[in-house]
Amino acid sequence: MRIFHNTNIRFMRFKWLWLGGALAAIAASLLLLTVGPGLKLGVDFAGGTQITLKFKQEPDPSRIRKALEDLRIGTVTIQRFGDPGDRELLVRMQNPKQEEGDFAAPMVAALDKEFNKEQAAIRMNLQGAEVIANALVDADPDSIGGTVGGRQAYYRPMVDAILESRKQKGLLEGPGDLAGIAQLSAGVRTYLSQNAHFGEFSLLAADNVGPLVGKDLQKKATYAVLFSLVGMLVYIWFRFQLPYGLGAIVALAHDTIIALGALSLTGREIEIPTIAALLTLVGYSTNDTVVIFDRIRERIKLDRGKPLEAVMDLALNQTLARTVITSGLTWFVVISLFLFGGDVINTFAFVLLIGIVVGTYSSIYIATPVALLASNWIENRRALKRRR
Amino acid sequence: MQRKLMWRWILIGIVTAGAVYFMYPPDQKVKLGLDLKGGIHLVLQVNQMDAVRAEVDDAMERVRAELASKGFPPESMARLEEGDGFRFKPLANTSEKLLDKVLGDRLPDFNVTPGVEITARLKPEVKRAVQDMAVRQGLETIRNRIDQFGVAEPTIQRQGLESNRIVVQLPGVDDPGRVKELIRSTAFLEIKPVVRVAPSEEALLATTGGVVPDDSQVVPGDVEGADGRVTGREYYLVKKASVVTGRDLRNARRSQDQYNQPAVHFSLTPEGARKFGEYTAAHIGDRMAIVLDNKVRSAPSIRSRIDDSGIIEGSFTVQSAEDLALVLRAGALPASITYLEERTVGPSLGRDSIVRGIRAGLAGLALIVVFMLIYYKGAGINAVTALILNAVILIGVMSAFNATLTLPGIAGIILTIGMAVDANVLIFERIREELELGKTVRSAIDLGFQRALSAIIDSNLTTIISALFLFQFGTGPIKGFAVSLTIGLLASMFTAVFVSRAIFDLVLSRREKVTALSI
Repeated sequence: MRIFHNTNIRFMRFKWLWLGGALAAIAASLLLLTVGPGLKLGVDFAGGTQITLKFKQEPDPSRIRKALEDLRIGTVTIQRFGDPGDRELLVRMQNPKQEEGDFAAPMVAALDKEFNKEQAAIRMNLQGAEVIANALVDADPDSIGGTVGGRQAYYRPMVDAILESRKQKGLLEGPGDLAGIAQLSAGVRTYLSQNAHFGEFSLLAADNVGPLVGKDLQKKATYAVLFSLVGMLVYIWFRFQLPYGLGAIVALAHDTIIALGALSLTGREIEIPTIAALLTLVGYSTNDTVVIFDRIRERIKLDRGKPLEAVMDLALNQTLARTVITSGLTWFVVISLFLFGGDVINTFAFVLLIGIVVGTYSSIYIATPVALLASNWIENRRALKRRR
Repeated sequence: MQRKLMWRWILIGIVTAGAVYFMYPPDQKVKLGLDLKGGIHLVLQVNQMDAVRAEVDDAMERVRAELASKGFPPESMARLEEGDGFRFKPLANTSEKLLDKVLGDRLPDFNVTPGVEITARLKPEVKRAVQDMAVRQGLETIRNRIDQFGVAEPTIQRQGLESNRIVVQLPGVDDPGRVKELIRSTAFLEIKPVVRVAPSEEALLATTGGVVPDDSQVVPGDVEGADGRVTGREYYLVKKASVVTGRDLRNARRSQDQYNQPAVHFSLTPEGARKFGEYTAAHIGDRMAIVLDNKVRSAPSIRSRIDDSGIIEGSFTVQSAEDLALVLRAGALPASITYLEERTVGPSLGRDSIVRGIRAGLAGLALIVVFMLIYYKGAGINAVTALILNAVILIGVMSAFNATLTLPGIAGIILTIGMAVDANVLIFERIREELELGKTVRSAIDLGFQRALSAIIDSNLTTIISALFLFQFGTGPIKGFAVSLTIGLLASMFTAVFVSRAIFDLVLSRREKVTALSI
């Protein structure tokens, strides 16, 4: 089986059209980024506190807002996390007056106060094994007596079993969830059913990025993207020639800008993994470009005297099958990451999903024509000089 | 089989065996990152000025005491706004000689500016040393405390050599709130003589003429009912000078008071015991306040001389007694702490991430395998073998380097698998071209590998370059991504170029005359 076998497409014929299209796409992206909605920075870069909660029942967002208002921290955004049936929410706030400190704890405390009216000593979904076990040691429902150490050794394994179950489910909904845990003694089960408070939610994750760290990360991310672009330029300049380096860098700038535009258009947030995706995209797109340039270099030696444009067309046709297969396969992999990889890396996969398409396009329709134009321009100037 | 080919296979065998060896046993070798295992990552800042201020306060106290003992207590004395020095106005009739002696003896670490009001500022190098020491002591204290939680494989490091930041990573923590509290707790314990107790600050000050005496301070404490519940507040006027402090502690542990209620028992160092013994012997019948972080925990009366140990009572649960004993054992923080960054991942979320990551990886891999087998037929088997070996080597190398697997790292592995077939595709397409040009099978394979090589190296290197920048920039999880991407691409160059070639040669070596190739 062969695809794109012996094609003879004249890619360079409409180079101005392709370049024009790319320019339009870049312009549109830049508009989105500047005049339009711009980039939405996530907690990593903007700073702030974000907690991920799993609720027993679908909560009323206005109750969450109201509870957090009293903290007077800042605007609250609430987003769904995971699948709709999971009842998982992302709650985010700006840290007050760009202050440093632990704001996750007061947020959880405020929500705890709002949703869990009852403040029992044992909190099945918010406390850890040691605290719950020691509360049982204090209460001693099985009347073990003896030393504290002895009671700790008795109750701790039971609590560990409960926490293992919490780890599996993400949230213990009520005394019913204890029924399935074989390690529990009848006394402990009854005691916890009557005295422990299960509450309405559990804390799945918390991120708190203070302004210092946020600024740090912003700076580092910008440098990483810029330096890797420069790195690519230098590498290709060194391995090929300046016109090719220029072609590659223009293509890369195009890819990065359009990926950012897509992020702006979909309102996705920029987080650290997004930067990882952008850098991967830079590497990937260059990879594609380099394979084509490599073939052009080879053909130039073989087809001496042929115009560069024709040589490039031939090289593009000869590598077309490879370009499509590799991009296609990588794209499939990225689709599976996008579909099955979960919320945490969804934006990462999204950037690559867009990036691979754009990167493949740009290798053929931007990097090569720009290299051609730059080459011709340099040739013409040399010719002019010679004539003089 | 030709000798040369045999050696190549032996090398491949060694590499594979090595990779498998390092992988085994997988549950110990593959270290999961915090984002997969669940846990807490904290960046905290040691507020070094606290330590500087404490140093200055100490010096102020020394100067005041010295001058007062000679009968010339300073007229006024205050710490500078910036915190790194103080100024004071000696009594007008204080002799130059006494002043010089006090300043010379008591303030060797200060630059002193004379005048009607004398300013003393900590020498810059001393200030730096104090600040550095605060971070190092903080690091040590936090390490001690965390050792006592019993967290497996904690990471506690200073971020950079000179910085005031400490990074703490605790995998598998199930109660992040408590951990944060325990790390931050200053746990500064002082035992001070009680002058007077009153239900409100006003009532307390009424007895001293409305001002707090120079040598005393007001500290609040809780009032407890018979059942140990807090029923209100009261205020203690205590002497500033402590009898003993947390620095004199040798050990602390949870124990019980005479009513079998949880309490904290502490023992003192020999030096502390001497001070405590002398003081208690001389003050039988008086009360002393056990002050923790500027709050009176309890204020027992001294019944007899106490030498080397004591007990702190007052509305403890088993848990709170354990926690207090823990922080007392680990020592006080020399300065307060501010959290700059927190990343907590609950264990259930991490678990979910692993399941999803593996599902995505398998789906992607299956698609690639199916495509390669259909599109390249016989050679497809070759490519799939190389791909599987690539994954084995990748995981083997990661295990050997003790690299940490993170969620982005899993994404990196999946992505690498996608990109790794690229080398095979490049070679196979080239071989097909050469076959079309009428080359024999053997020379087509030769040329295919030869001519594709430069493209493979160039294209992989560009991705590796950007991975290096990523590594430089990244935090934990992202570093994991950069690492798996880089190792994966290096491994793919080996498998696609070397292994895949060896497979072709092995297949061909078994046949005399080769006229067709399944590709």
